[in-house]
Amino acid sequence: MALTALICDDSLLARNQLKKSLPSAFDADIITASNGVEALTILRSREVGLVFLDLTMPELDGVGVLEAIKADAMDCLVIVVSADIQPEMQKRVMELGALAFVQKPATADKLADVMHKYGLI
Amino acid sequence: MTELHFTDVQRDCLQELVNVAMGQASDKLARYLGTFVHLQVPAIALVEAALLSQHFASRYQQQSATLVSLGFFGDQGLRGETIMLYQLANVGVIAQLLGYSDDAVSEAEMLTDISSVLTTTFLSGLAEQLENSFSYAAPRILSSRDKDFADKLAYTAEQWQLALQVDIRYQLTDYSFNCDMILLIPGEAVLRLRQTLDNILADF
Repeated sequence: MALTALICDDSLLARNQLKKSLPSAFDADIITASNGVEALTILRSREVGLVFLDLTMPELDGVGVLEAIKADAMDCLVIVVSADIQPEMQKRVMELGALAFVQKPATADKLADVMHKYGLI
Repeated sequence: MTELHFTDVQRDCLQELVNVAMGQASDKLARYLGTFVHLQVPAIALVEAALLSQHFASRYQQQSATLVSLGFFGDQGLRGETIMLYQLANVGVIAQLLGYSDDAVSEAEMLTDISSVLTTTFLSGLAEQLENSFSYAAPRILSSRDKDFADKLAYTAEQWQLALQVDIRYQLTDYSFNCDMILLIPGEAVLRLRQTLDNILADF
């Protein structure tokens, strides 16, 4: 059964950009959420193996989502895809359990690199 | 009169390009100030340049502000001017943090420096995503500690048709530092910008 991957970003462009830049070898059902609250609703209702998570979002930001994932011990991997590239922010999300940090805009090369590194493709 | 309308999809696209460029500028600013910057979603608004000074006059009514301008020139007619507006309440704290001395000349120098860091990083990030490249004029202070700054803003804005207003709230770790950034672009650059957005959207 194919893995379900969730793309969470408030921007339609960013969601489409990411979806299109995913490696073709990545066999997954792709679903999307446009803020952190939506993402958590999805994560609590169905099994999601991998989340591509933006940080700067309305309603609930990416850090809030990571905190909830950690607090509820949800079993999903998170790759943060963000424009907030300050070293302190990268450190913070890694401490909250993110697998990797990808700087926006997410290109096919960057995604292939990080997904290969963690055995996702 | 150029039609200034952007569709929702074009607007979302521009908002995301601004977010990415803003992230790069915040990172630069954080390194420059040696502190962490809490980044919020920058609210963008497209307004007719002629209406701009009214908007800001009401927001800055109770205080004096400094305006710093930076002109930029890109390929294919994409050009314009950015204006940074600083409320002066926290300027002293930042001056101290950066080791500028506490006088009007140093304050002006500091705001010019910060503007240069923020706007050139922001604009370079934006240009890269638009597959363009910008060159810059030297930053200049339009108005300092001036209660009539709205007139000066109006005078500058009337040379352009469209203003992309980017509302930046920088919250630094220990104190707040608010500034507004305004991107002013002429009508033909609006057309070019819209076309570039459409090209980007066509790719996805």
